[in-house]
Amino acid sequence: MAYTSFSGENLLTKKKSAIWSFFSSVWLAIALLLLIALIAMIGTLFPHREAAAELAVRMPQGLFSFLQKMQVFDLYHSVWFFVLMGLLACNLVICSLDRLPTALRRFRAKPDPRDPVPFKNLPEENIFYPESDVKKAAEAAIHLLKKKYHSFQQADEPGSVHLCAQKGRFAHFGVYMVHLSVLGFICGAVIGSVLGIEGAVKMLEGEMVSSIDLRNSGGTMPLHFSVRCDKFTIKRYENGAPKIFQSDLTFFINGREVRSTKLFVNHPVEFEGFSFYQASYGPAPGKKATLALLRADGRRDIVNVLAGYTFKLPGKEGTFQVLRVEDNMMQMGPAIKVAVRSEKGTVTFWVFREIDRIRKMIPDVFEQVPVFNPGLFRPYTFSLLGIEEKYYTGLLVNRDPGAPVVALSAVFLICGLMIILFSYARQIWIRIDQVNGRVRIGIAGRSIRNQVGLKREMRHLLAQLENNLENSK
Amino acid sequence: MINTAILSWVTFIYFGAFVFYLFRMILGREFGGQLASWMTLIGFIAQSIALIIRWKTSYDLGIGHAPMTNFYESLIFFAWTVVFLYLLMEWRLKNRSIGVFVMPAAFLMMAYASIGPGISNRIEPLIPALQSNWLTSHVLTCFMGYAAFTVTFALGIMFFLRKAAAHDSSGVRGLIHMLPSEDQIDELIYSCATLGFIFLTLGIVTGSVWAHYAWGSYWSWDPKETWSLITWLAYAMMLHVRLMRGWRGLRMAIMAIIGFACVLFTYLGVNLLPSLHSYLI
Ligand code: HEM
Repeated sequence: MAYTSFSGENLLTKKKSAIWSFFSSVWLAIALLLLIALIAMIGTLFPHREAAAELAVRMPQGLFSFLQKMQVFDLYHSVWFFVLMGLLACNLVICSLDRLPTALRRFRAKPDPRDPVPFKNLPEENIFYPESDVKKAAEAAIHLLKKKYHSFQQADEPGSVHLCAQKGRFAHFGVYMVHLSVLGFICGAVIGSVLGIEGAVKMLEGEMVSSIDLRNSGGTMPLHFSVRCDKFTIKRYENGAPKIFQSDLTFFINGREVRSTKLFVNHPVEFEGFSFYQASYGPAPGKKATLALLRADGRRDIVNVLAGYTFKLPGKEGTFQVLRVEDNMMQMGPAIKVAVRSEKGTVTFWVFREIDRIRKMIPDVFEQVPVFNPGLFRPYTFSLLGIEEKYYTGLLVNRDPGAPVVALSAVFLICGLMIILFSYARQIWIRIDQVNGRVRIGIAGRSIRNQVGLKREMRHLLAQLENNLENSK
Repeated sequence: MINTAILSWVTFIYFGAFVFYLFRMILGREFGGQLASWMTLIGFIAQSIALIIRWKTSYDLGIGHAPMTNFYESLIFFAWTVVFLYLLMEWRLKNRSIGVFVMPAAFLMMAYASIGPGISNRIEPLIPALQSNWLTSHVLTCFMGYAAFTVTFALGIMFFLRKAAAHDSSGVRGLIHMLPSEDQIDELIYSCATLGFIFLTLGIVTGSVWAHYAWGSYWSWDPKETWSLITWLAYAMMLHVRLMRGWRGLRMAIMAIIGFACVLFTYLGVNLLPSLHSYLI
């Protein structure tokens, strides 16, 4: 069977302390992987952080505080987890150091063409007797080795030729790349948790912020720049699900406008070392109304207003205040209630969007209910163009110096695995000699990791060599 | 819709293929196997066409995306990758005996997709977080990994049957023919597990890259992520006990089954837990 034990070789090279043996043991590795998997599993069963508060109500107080002390509600950042990760890192480092000399020796080893060991107990199927002489057979074999292995070594003896070649020596390091990448992930995660920042902000349109809410500690952190949301847009599918949402942002440093950009989901924006992500949105209190102001002289202004907004009318006739914004006022559609204050006193009235429809239904509505008349304050006529839901935009603002380390490790991991899967180190020997007056060709090989592949490869070599010799006759 | 009609036919074709693979194993004749192979191939081609039609239809509806975004589509795609991998193995190994164990899995997934409660086969639009080029590569690699693990699991079951058949006293002996030797099965279990491990790794990495863009963090310990890590660790353990402790045969078959349990939980079980992935499955 393909099972090879390496411990024997290591014992020859040095005597090891108990600690070293402990940390280089694969049993430890397996135990650690199992424990990490178990902790991860338990972690998925319990709610995390904020969500855990809900559990506190349903659980006996003592049990809850015990679990909290055990850090069950934040297992992935608990002491348990860190200790396991630390042990895994030590395990990986020491195990790799322990084996590196062996791997280097294997990497450097040059197979000896005369080595008789591979030919011990060579199965019959690896031998054949061509009808050819030694020289011709050797030429064919050399040709084949050159083609398949680029280089080969040769040793001639009277009446026999010994050849050998090797391939895939770098595969010895595939496993090291994989293990190094695991170390890289651990390092990257540590860097991220020590130096990284995870923040979030919620902004209304037009609002500017210069600090973020930290997600882990619950505090806030000032930024050395500010960011303003100029506009938030959301488009929907017919079924009402969101299709696109985006924020138009402007960044300021020391009050100076530095950059304007659009932020989409899945397309973060980098600014001053922070990454901004369009993460969410939500309804903001209040509604946004679009209002047209028509003056008797023909001037027309359009303004966006919210409940509570106050502004001076364009001709300075008075101040205009929005008292209420209603989606559907008394079944008569969207409407806003406004107050206009001037020297003559205060007038209060409603502005409906569907005023024409209302007047058709009740022709003398303005006489009956004067406060429904949008022209109550002369010389203006107000008309409501529309009412929109108001949203805040939710952004994540992160900085993670560990991310590049993690990304690099991921590349390493995948390359290492590819090397392990697609290549393996093997050495091939071909011996051509004569027994009882017949030419005999034997092919032998050695591989530590892949006996099955080696067997297949030798079968192919044999068949090809046989074929070539057949044809060259 | 035409694609769902084809897909329900494919379900029956896969079932038929399973039945013929079973005949082959029980009667020990290669003829049933040939028929089974052809049926599998035809089913696979039909399924591929249905998936392409579905893909195209989604573009015609103006919500174009690869057909792997809701539970129905993911089940169908899972079955597709399993059959794909199986056909590849049958062709490479020139051996049909695994079919009996793999085809039921493909059939069950297809059947569950069409009759499972609350599974909608409509083509649905994507919410913004899912509109990413990473979607396709992430789902593809994950499901190739799942498929390889499903085949590993099937091989594990096969190993148990084979072992039972080796005992004279057991009743299964007369029912089982033409299975590979225990050593061969063991070797296949190892190769498939390695293949799955690589694809799962790719799946986790592409998923992290995507999460980095969409959620601002490459790893957020969401239950689906966590369970994929648990699965990954389970197979890492499997590789280590084999390479370093020389575990073979029965023990590896058991590991294959445990690993597959983790895969199933990653795929289905986590939906019992609250998750960011809930819209994706
Ligand atoms: C998450 C952690 C780990 C992962 C993902 C991992 C992954 C791997 C992989 C993919 C292989 C190669 C399997 C193959 O050749 O098919 C391997 C081999 C190996 N691993 Fe790990 N490993 C991990 C942790 C460890 C640790 C902590 C140790 C320390 C003892 C260790 C020791 C070994 C050894 C000795 C080998 C065999 C090397 C050889 O073939 O020369 N591994 N590992």
